[in-house]
Amino acid sequence: MRYLTIALTKGRLADKTLELFRKVGIASAGADDKETRKLIFTNEEMKVRFFLAKGTDVPTYVAYGAADIGIVGRDTILEEGRKIYEVLDLGYGKCRMCICGPLSAKEILNSGAEFRVATKYPNIAKDYFHNRKHQTVEIIKMNGSIELAPIVGLSEVICDIVETGTTLKENGLHVLEEVCDLSARVVVNQVSMKMENERITELIRKLMEALNED
Amino acid sequence: MNNNLLIHTPEGFRDTYGTDLQSKRILMDKLRDVFTGYSYREIQTPVVEFFDVFGSDVGTTPSNELFKFFDRNGYTLVLRPDFTPSVARAVAMHFTKDDFPLKLFYEGSTFVNSQEYQLNLKESTQMGVELIGDGSASADAEVLLLTCDLLKKAGLTEFQVSVGENDYFKALAEDSGLDEERIEEVRRMISNKNFFGVDNMLDSDETPADIREAFVHLPQLFGGKEVLDRAEQYAANEGAQKAVSRLREIEKEISGSGNEKYISFDFSLLSKYHYYTGVIFSAFTYGTGEPVAKGGRYDRLLGHFGTDAPAVGVGVYIDQLRNALIRQGILH
Repeated sequence: MRYLTIALTKGRLADKTLELFRKVGIASAGADDKETRKLIFTNEEMKVRFFLAKGTDVPTYVAYGAADIGIVGRDTILEEGRKIYEVLDLGYGKCRMCICGPLSAKEILNSGAEFRVATKYPNIAKDYFHNRKHQTVEIIKMNGSIELAPIVGLSEVICDIVETGTTLKENGLHVLEEVCDLSARVVVNQVSMKMENERITELIRKLMEALNED
Repeated sequence: MNNNLLIHTPEGFRDTYGTDLQSKRILMDKLRDVFTGYSYREIQTPVVEFFDVFGSDVGTTPSNELFKFFDRNGYTLVLRPDFTPSVARAVAMHFTKDDFPLKLFYEGSTFVNSQEYQLNLKESTQMGVELIGDGSASADAEVLLLTCDLLKKAGLTEFQVSVGENDYFKALAEDSGLDEERIEEVRRMISNKNFFGVDNMLDSDETPADIREAFVHLPQLFGGKEVLDRAEQYAANEGAQKAVSRLREIEKEISGSGNEKYISFDFSLLSKYHYYTGVIFSAFTYGTGEPVAKGGRYDRLLGHFGTDAPAVGVGVYIDQLRNALIRQGILH
């Protein structure tokens, strides 16, 4: 039998996911050892192997078929726009994609004037402003500490993930508009879904059952 | 232009030579043998066509993904992104109903100006057939069996041809009471195999209960023959029932051919090409993230060019297929 390969997003999502995988019996020894330098873990009994990857790379691994299944946040799926199946909402890692800024920016958002949006998610921001709000905006791609942008005058607003809102509050920013809800998703390669249909559907069914128990 | 740039090909285009080209030619020769074995005859159409052949009312590649330029009279020309509309146009021009059923095969390059396309190649080689003037289920079955034979002849031993019916979703959508934009959203979710999203999305709409039930189950309506029974159960109107019985007919034609194990059914398979009107299918194998062949029935396409005739066809993506063969260790 062929190995089913699963790509997990490093970080908080991985902890939750490994817990879920233990419940359905596919976690393998060593995967939750934080000190390990091993990149890939194998469960010989079930012929499943999995590895941890950077979130933005997970849809790429899955789209090319290097991984059959991926666990990744919906923000990354939307941003990467890869041709993959999005089969299951795991319900954890819940947060929202929002347009944030100082309260004074609220007026600018509805004024029809052109303004600047700093974001790690240029595609999501572009889709929101261009296709949903029909506004012309300048999108500035950034790689971290997005909250800084409106404070130092790089942009009027930001488009970013809001979980608790603490960072925003501490920096005097507010949620001005909501773009969409986010959570962890299971994605599947199109070809794997056909070729390994039974094993993958069975795995998804088990994950669903484990989720419903909680 | 800088001389260093001159020796590179533009992004998405490449040279093929040596053993690479040799093995590609051998593969194409094998496929051509299958075509002629099924008594298909070759047709060549120009690489360049008028824009309208691939326009939005024909329903093919989005306009922004076409390579476009102008002729001397100011008409917009495009490089063909896909063979089927070209062949349909040529048939309308050169043949009459007396020539039907017409069995044609083609081979050549197609051009799509998009990063997201097959292997990120903008020029890719396709070979395929069109069976024109036969609207029967046995014509559908013939093209499906031909597809299996092509892939076997190419050397593949493990592959799946997923067969769907475009009209199943279309018929349900018509009675759903949703506007076009919402239908497009549902279509996207279903073809993404989003098992649960459809349910949540339809919460706020007043879709009839039986249609909603069908939409909710559609992303999971794929697998072996038993899927036909399940699809029948959710077929809430006549159009959807007809779609299921069509696939049953095809299934009957195929059984006993020895190719049953390669064929599965998938009602969530919905094509981006709007010209497909009935059965549609995609062939998958290991080693490539995308289908190696795609096909389906397009009974209204020839009408756009002035000849009403039912038709069905399949196209094989040669570069995808070669990659799969190489990665599976079948070809070197």
